[in-house]
Order: sequence, then C-alpha cells, then structure tokens
Amino acid sequence: MAITSLKSGISTRSGMVGNTLIYPGSYESIASASPSAGTAYVDFTSIPSTYTHLQIRAICRSNDGSAGNNNGIYARFNSDSGSNYSFHFLTGTNAGATGAAGLASQTEMFINAVNPRGGDTANVYSANVIDILDYANTNKYKTVRALTGDALNASGVIRLFSGLWMSATAISSIRITMEGNFAANSQLALYGVN
Amino acid sequence: MALNIFKIESVEVSNNASSVTFSSIPQGYTDLVLKFSTRDTDAGTASHFGIIFNGDTGANYTSLFIRGDGSGSVLSFSQTPSYIVASYQSSAGSTANSFGTGEMYIPNYTGSNQKGVSLESMSETNNALAYMNMTAGKWTGTSAITSITAKQTIGGPFVANSTFTLYGIL
Repeated sequence: MAITSLKSGISTRSGMVGNTLIYPGSYESIASASPSAGTAYVDFTSIPSTYTHLQIRAICRSNDGSAGNNNGIYARFNSDSGSNYSFHFLTGTNAGATGAAGLASQTEMFINAVNPRGGDTANVYSANVIDILDYANTNKYKTVRALTGDALNASGVIRLFSGLWMSATAISSIRITMEGNFAANSQLALYGVN
Repeated sequence: MALNIFKIESVEVSNNASSVTFSSIPQGYTDLVLKFSTRDTDAGTASHFGIIFNGDTGANYTSLFIRGDGSGSVLSFSQTPSYIVASYQSSAGSTANSFGTGEMYIPNYTGSNQKGVSLESMSETNNALAYMNMTAGKWTGTSAITSITAKQTIGGPFVANSTFTLYGIL
C-alpha cells in the first residue's frame, strides 16, 4: 500500500522502518524496441488504458543510403488507415531558415520529417519526444505533440509537431514507420505517464 | 541521479469552466511540469488562455513566441499581458472533439529569483491551417510558486474533457 506524505504529497511504496524509500514515479516503461537495420516499422500493441498520458522517446536514423536528412517518421493508431489524421509543424534550421506547414485528412500522422540517412554524417540520430495526452479518453479525439530534431556537422533541423487523430477510441496500438526503413541502433521507448 | 516525475494533481473539466487552479502546491520538488489538453467555446479555430502564479494579476508577465500557422508563415513576437500566454488551444470552430495540447516547464519554482518558463502549445483541427507556439515566459515574482491558475482571457470557457495535469520533478 502506498503511503502519502501529508507535507509533500509524495507517495512511497513502503514506510517500514529500515526500508529504503522507493518513490513510485509517474513514468512507467511499457515497451521498447531496437529495430534491426531495414525494419520498416515498430508496433506497440496491447497498450494498457490505465495511464493518463503516453510518451514515446526515440532516437532514429533512416536506412536509406542517400543523403539529405529529410526522411520522415509516421504514426498510425489502432491500425486505422483511413483519412483520419492531420498534422502541422514549425521548423527551424542551422541556416536560419524557418517554416511551417500542415496537411488535413491524411492516412497517417507525420511526427518527424528530419532523420539522418545513410549518406549523412555517420552515427547521428534524430532525437524525438512525442506526447499523446488523454490517449484513453473516449470523449475526445487524440492530439499528439512532438519535439524533434537532429544536429549534423554542418546542418541541422529542429521541428515542433502537432497531430490529430480523429477518433474517440482509446489508443491501444501504435505503429511507427520510418521512411526508408530504420537504420541499425535506432531505439524507441513507450512510457505510460500516470 | 535519475530524473523522477510525480503527479501532483490532475483536473478534468466536467462542465464549462473559465479557470482551473492548482493550489497548495507542495514545495518539495525541483521543477514543475504542467501538461494540458484544452478547447474553449470561442467562435474561431484557435484561441489562447493565460497562466498566472500565486493569484498575481498584475502586469508582471512577459511572453516571447515563435509561431507557426501551418501555411509557411512564421512569426516571432512578444506580449506583456497580465499573465503568461498559453497559445494555442482548439476552439468552437475547430474540428469537433479536437483539443489543443501543450506543456509548460517551470524550473526552480521555489527559488527567490524571477521565474522563467518554457511552453509549447498548439491548436489542432482537420485543416491545413492551425497554430502552434514555442514560448519563453517570465513572471517577475520572487516568491515560491504555490498556486497556478489557467484562466480564459479572450475566449469562452474551457469545455468539458479539457484536462490539466501538474507534475513535480525531482
């Protein structure tokens, strides 16, 4: 039984004398994946509906052999391939260029448009933090926020994404697809946030 | 030391509400994070709300933005209303059941310096045009933050199923 401090509001798993206090943080690992080179997508399935929010943290690189740092990552929820997604992003580059764009009624959600490819600087991966708030709330459509970017030797891009999945169904599975397939050592981790 | 995050409180709006307040915030954390998913009754497709600390409604806030609108237009500007501007959120003109989303990070909220925050928020709708901001905010107050209020300032109230979750970070 968790014990809650009246002073701080922090819960501990055990208050027994002599025990090390263990603080149950709000982040819990649900699953992680390290796709092998050439893998097209990663599926997170059987996602419990018991958390408040979800978060995916990922480092990614495309297996595409060309250069250009512009392969994308896409998300699809509950295997829905209908035109039920929209997305928008705000971008900035090392060269001072900025931009914004958006698309409606897409069949998947764009959540990162900048991933190093095989011809780009070796061993560089994009960094991605993707939040899915109220993913199990059946009274609202699902909105995603993603902060992504990468820094190559002489170039780099940062992007803030938002996306909409037009379904009130609780999210129970997520497919993350890499354009040009994942490169080796890409890593994706799904967390439940209480 | 591992980063640990703890839920302090969550609020889900059940009926239209013009404000949501987290009070008596515990002082034992290092930083705070507020995650929100909101929509209001304003007639447009996007609007904003304000965030005030410790009930301070004076002219003690600054917000600096980078804004994108989905069409290639990017603006950078600042505002100084009597709250930190949380732009944007979805409104009555947005796709039904769509909500904006955002997160505010408040480092060193118990410190005796002025409080700087970072914030990202955006409206969402099934249209190429939608708004998002990356925001740097400042409250000139030097007291520890003990309450946070999210309040509607230009639009209608928060609609049902708008949510706010406050976390403490150690």
